[in-house]
Amino acid sequence: MSDVIRFTNGYLALPDGQCVRADLYISTSTGQIISGQSSFFTSNLSPSRTIDLDGNILSPGLIDVQINGAYGIDFSELELDTEDGGEGKYIAGLEEVARRLVETGTTSFVPTIITQKEELYSKLLRLLRPRSPANAAHILGYHAEGPFLHPARRGAHSETLLMTAESAPPIATFDRVYGRDGLDQEGVKIITLAPDVRGVMGCVEELTRRGVTVSIGHSDASLEVANEAMNKGARMITHLFNAMPPIHHRDPGVIGLLGSPNQRPYFGIIVDGLHSHPNTVRIAYAACKEGCVLVTDAQSPMDPNLPDGVHDWREGIKFRKEGYKVLIEGTTTLAGSCCPLYECVSNLSKFASIPITEALLAATLRPAQLLGGEISKRKGQLREGFDADLCVVDWEGKVRSTWVGAKEVWRDGKIGQGDYLGDKPKPRKVNGNGLVNGH
Amino acid sequence: MRLTIRDTKAQVGDYIGDYIAKRINSFHPKPNRPYFVLGLPTGSSPLPVYKRLVELHQKGALSFKNVVTFNMDEYVGIPRDHPESYHTFMFKNLFSLIDIDPKNTHILDGEAEDLYKECEDYEAAIRAAGGIDLFLGGIGADGHIAFNEPGSSLVSRTRIKTLAYETILDNCRFFNNDLAAVPRMALTVGVQTVMDAREVVLVVTGQNKALALSQMIEGGVNHMVTASALQTHPWALVVCDEDATNELRVKTVKYFKSIEKVQDEVEAKYGPSASKSLGLHRASAA
Repeated sequence: MSDVIRFTNGYLALPDGQCVRADLYISTSTGQIISGQSSFFTSNLSPSRTIDLDGNILSPGLIDVQINGAYGIDFSELELDTEDGGEGKYIAGLEEVARRLVETGTTSFVPTIITQKEELYSKLLRLLRPRSPANAAHILGYHAEGPFLHPARRGAHSETLLMTAESAPPIATFDRVYGRDGLDQEGVKIITLAPDVRGVMGCVEELTRRGVTVSIGHSDASLEVANEAMNKGARMITHLFNAMPPIHHRDPGVIGLLGSPNQRPYFGIIVDGLHSHPNTVRIAYAACKEGCVLVTDAQSPMDPNLPDGVHDWREGIKFRKEGYKVLIEGTTTLAGSCCPLYECVSNLSKFASIPITEALLAATLRPAQLLGGEISKRKGQLREGFDADLCVVDWEGKVRSTWVGAKEVWRDGKIGQGDYLGDKPKPRKVNGNGLVNGH
Repeated sequence: MRLTIRDTKAQVGDYIGDYIAKRINSFHPKPNRPYFVLGLPTGSSPLPVYKRLVELHQKGALSFKNVVTFNMDEYVGIPRDHPESYHTFMFKNLFSLIDIDPKNTHILDGEAEDLYKECEDYEAAIRAAGGIDLFLGGIGADGHIAFNEPGSSLVSRTRIKTLAYETILDNCRFFNNDLAAVPRMALTVGVQTVMDAREVVLVVTGQNKALALSQMIEGGVNHMVTASALQTHPWALVVCDEDATNELRVKTVKYFKSIEKVQDEVEAKYGPSASKSLGLHRASAA
């Protein structure tokens, strides 16, 4: 039996933002994208299954590098007072999110933890090694947002937990907080830090050398300071515009990096239409589209199936959901972001007036390139040898089905089962001798 | 030889596609001949034919489960998965779009260690399959069939061929205009390999093929126009578009058109079986 699956009758989203009407072949035994032609001529295999894309777009699976939680689960919560220190429940929650997140087209994500008590980091980071539960999105590693953040730009982070790195050498503080093991563990390690906090700038080079993706965020830095961090190895800006000084024409601050004539950063941006005005998104995209990385920055109430209305959240706090706007009940305060990644893609397409296939790059190719290394060689593109992590989206940007490791892990309930992604019945029935009646 | 003229390239493609489908569908597998054996070309002329075959397959009117194919030729010195290789062409334009068993497709391997052996084995494989039932072909602007460039022996078999300078220059555009990157050699079936097929169908379209068409039909059998060898084939059909008739004599065109008209009249009067008993349905009726 052939292990080859072929996708046909749709458009492949290419790494240049164009799309092309072509077929894609994947192997269920390797879980990778393969050359249909070599499997045909060399292994004499024809596909055992053909998926009719019905004119939709086949895209690499979406990658979210900043997500704090979803479906009622918060990645920063560890119940220390249980027998196993909360580990069992934490992992179960993490995997639950991984299993459900595929409905948003997301096939890889980087769980993000906000500023914690110092002693929690070593416990949490250990649990955030790469992990691929069955029928679920891949967990790539961790994104630690804090605690080395600027108090003036702390946003929702607890002021009392923020830290500086004043030890000698300053990296010793990082080693102590995240743990040596945490800083050197396998997988993706993103640290959002403020280079303008005492001692932090001196650590950027060392962190980068040790495989950490350094992202500038929650920072009050001037352009000069931000530039210096970039020169020392920082690659990214965390949720552009949020938790940093607004751009001033004489001192553009961290945002000014987008106009840098030489090395431009990747920048995470929350395109839910609420955290940044659509026009602001357009300006950022026009200034530096090659750096634009869509992030959800989702909080635990993120759940596209949750109806509008008032829901319980944390103890004594309720939230009110109105579309993708989630407010703390009785206030006008945003309770974080709750917009699924595929919606961010279609928002970017609208706000920046770009085709959906170009907007997809900001959630596929670019996050993969931002993470670099093995990830950029295995994910984010429809190329031979890359992981068969895929999503089928329609031209409105809605997810129709999601594949991880060459296995369909989710499909829109409305389109039914089978090899056809539409509401039409599967055409043609060929009888035993391979011919249709009468021919 | 019989010549059928259609107005456009697309109509030529439909005509030949339907014709081949009819042959495949009326083929009855026997224990010693389980497959219909089809010879296939590459190039722009046969594309509308492949398009039609794919359409028929998608409509459910044609299956390739009982079909074995042999391709005419392949370049030497470029990998199979090169975008310009004939493997790529066939996969992209036909094989990936139909239900043929990969094991039943044959294309010469231009990367084979021993090219001579590859050619001998190819002829042997054709014989083992029971010979070719229908060879579909195109012609070059100089009247060549497969890579049998002008001057090729009309009794040639599958072999290594050096490409004509004109062909190499012409191919430059497919290889980034880098003359050094263009293959200089190819493996190709011989003229006799094509002639051995029980039936040969040629697709000839476009003004640039007009001179070659007149030479192969109105000229004598000549190794400078290797397709002219088909004049001696018992069952050869050429289907061309109006553009390709530009260099033919008016008389030639009118004659071939009248054959089709007579057949239509006979069929209208006596039914489709009548032309069969008169022998008119066969391409060799002319």
